Amino acid sequence: MNCEVCQLKELEVEHFEIREVLRCILHTIVFHRALGLVRPKVIDLELFDITYVQCGDGELEKKIDEKIEQFISWVEKHPNKKSQVCISFYEVKNKHPSWFTNKTERLYWEQWYINLNVSQQQKVHSGKSHPSKIVVDPGGNSLEERSARRAALETSLREVLFQIIKFVNEKKDHVPPISDGVVYFPYEVTIPRWILSLIHEI
Amino acid sequence: MDLHGMAPHSESGKLEQVVSQFLLKSLHIILDSRIPSLHPRDPTCDSRVRKSDKWFNLVLGDRPAALDNLNFWHRNLMDPMIIDIILVQQGTAISTSVGNLLSGSPGRTATETVIERWLVQFESPPRGIASQPSEGSAASYKKTYKKSIIFLRSLYLQTRLLPAYRIFKQLSSSSQPFNFDIIYKVSSFSEPFSRVEEEMMKEYRFVPIEALPGRLHVSVTYRPQLSEFNLQPLTTMPPKIISDYVGSPATDPLRYFPSSYKGDRAISFPSKVMHSPTSVPFQRPHSWTSGFHKPVVNHHLAGSPTVYRTSQMSYDSPSPPMERIQNHRRPLHQRAPFYDECQLSPPFSPSVSPSTPTYLRNSESPRQTRASSETAPVTIPSPISGRSSRYISPNFSDPSKLSLPPLSPRSTRLDNSSNESPSGMRLIKKPEASRADLGSAGQKVLKDNKDDSGRFSGLLSSRSSSKLSFQDDIDDCDFSCPFDVDDVDPPDSRISQNVDWKRNLESTSMGRKSQDAAVGVLVHMLRTAPPLRQDSSCYSSRSLRAEVENDGVATTASGFFMPRRTSDALEELRSYREMKDLLLSKSGTRVLTREPP
Repeated sequence: MNCEVCQLKELEVEHFEIREVLRCILHTIVFHRALGLVRPKVIDLELFDITYVQCGDGELEKKIDEKIEQFISWVEKHPNKKSQVCISFYEVKNKHPSWFTNKTERLYWEQWYINLNVSQQQKVHSGKSHPSKIVVDPGGNSLEERSARRAALETSLREVLFQIIKFVNEKKDHVPPISDGVVYFPYEVTIPRWILSLIHEI
Repeated sequence: MDLHGMAPHSESGKLEQVVSQFLLKSLHIILDSRIPSLHPRDPTCDSRVRKSDKWFNLVLGDRPAALDNLNFWHRNLMDPMIIDIILVQQGTAISTSVGNLLSGSPGRTATETVIERWLVQFESPPRGIASQPSEGSAASYKKTYKKSIIFLRSLYLQTRLLPAYRIFKQLSSSSQPFNFDIIYKVSSFSEPFSRVEEEMMKEYRFVPIEALPGRLHVSVTYRPQLSEFNLQPLTTMPPKIISDYVGSPATDPLRYFPSSYKGDRAISFPSKVMHSPTSVPFQRPHSWTSGFHKPVVNHHLAGSPTVYRTSQMSYDSPSPPMERIQNHRRPLHQRAPFYDECQLSPPFSPSVSPSTPTYLRNSESPRQTRASSETAPVTIPSPISGRSSRYISPNFSDPSKLSLPPLSPRSTRLDNSSNESPSGMRLIKKPEASRADLGSAGQKVLKDNKDDSGRFSGLLSSRSSSKLSFQDDIDDCDFSCPFDVDDVDPPDSRISQNVDWKRNLESTSMGRKSQDAAVGVLVHMLRTAPPLRQDSSCYSSRSLRAEVENDGVATTASGFFMPRRTSDALEELRSYREMKDLLLSKSGTRVLTREPP
């Protein structure tokens, strides 16, 4: 089974926009890959005039928010760098058990790369803020520049969502069969240049 | 949805079932994100999972009733399903013709624009290619089902990324009415877009879904920009309780119905709130106007095989209160000149007013009479008929400003206790029945208007006396000179006149406290007042004449009215004294005479 890779369009975001942008993209991807019984939940972004869809699972939402916070922490420690967030879907294969090992193998069948270019004007926020709280970074740019940049980011974010829709419709054969009672395929969220500790398993 | 539990008739049967459910689910997703009335208010509160929700593992809630009627899709899956999302915008051109409204023809224009057209179609392979069941086909419908699950999720998101979702959110989130609405049309055919429309629209085609032996095609043609439509909330007054209802003594009684009607703001799209009958944008809504109801004609789209409208549309509402009020405001507007003349004011009902027959005699039908009476009651004026236009001011709303006819001394001759005196009716051209109506009407007014009973009773009491004065006022025309002697009046008539005059004045002042009435009373006082300078010759001549007549002495009265000097008068007095002394000496009696002033 081949692994389908999708490189999403790069987004130029400010620090305070990271949370909303990542939340939107990650949930959209997971929603298209949660092929079990799902009650969709429509969410309106606060910073942009965009509506996206979640799976309506509180646990899933919590886990994704935790990963987003980890990414933000990494960005704060490594400013002015282009960063990536990778979400991978895999299957668990059991290797031949032996005396010493009982390893399981992961077969990644799909990977999504979210490319972010966090702007230089950022403020370091110590500690964890509430996931739903939006911190507005005033910055030093003029109002017109900020609004133009915000509009451009909204357009780019919308293009990213359309890109996801197009990808999930074009590539379907590689998706594994759905197991009864299973809602989500196993996935993990990583920062390629910094391995995160959290891995989601079924 | 576990496909293993499906009716295992055949693989093709299962595929058909998947395809038909795919069509229904697609329609449900599209309508759920476009038609506010079909969208559940709070989907999270309903946690149960229906059978329809299990299809494609996507819980959407209750299916709209319209979907249950689309059984024809099951009959022929090859027919395309075309879903038109239509933006209906309230037009600005308003018909001012009452006939249009009353006859039911739409007087208000509305523009309809297709802002989205979805096409969902199952394409089967051309004939000649036989599709035989095989082992591969057993899993084919499962693959189709899995791919349909993925596709429907992307469709669910896609519908919320297109521009039409914004106006859907506008309608759904706000409780105020807007000048637009969204309806949909589902059909298996549709009129193609014109070239102009095509240029303004974009198309997005989803990747076809394999549904062996055929494929499922889904595409959407949409308007990328909706800013050209002036979509905004309606600026209508919210329903409110009118505390200063017409007729309250605390309000300005000089209010009247406006002659011009501003119907632009009457009709709204009652999307969320059905206004109470009293919620009107007019200046003076009145409760009696709610009695008139005109069913609103349903506006039908032409050339549409299956059209579904939401309950929010004003087209479908049986009788929006705004338009209802507009309907029966129109008759008022038509009779605006009538109202300008008499300035009717509630809560007096003209049907019980004595003067209303005068004003409503030109009405075309009793219903209109009733309509006018119910919509614009009249204050009960003074009991005037025939000469009412002469004495009653245009403003009926303030009874105190009614100018009553001046009192007449003749009123003393009539019995105040009897309201209907035949003698006073001789110069009144109205039949006596009108007087009777006046009395009964007055009583009826008291019954119908409890709130203003105090004012009514005052009017009623003043009416009885003013009625008599009106009769006498007609008789006043007979007087050529205010100082003429009335041959008929008894000697003590002047005193009785004064007494009755004062009585009438009091009763008049009781009921009418207006400047005009006061002026009328003053004029009457001046007219009936005794002369300021009593002419001694006249006075003495009168008394002397009476005495002379008693004694049988005839005298000529021609000299009484000739201008004379004082010396002449004294000389004449001297001669009279001599005559008196002579008479007394003859009779032997002494009469004490008084020196003239």
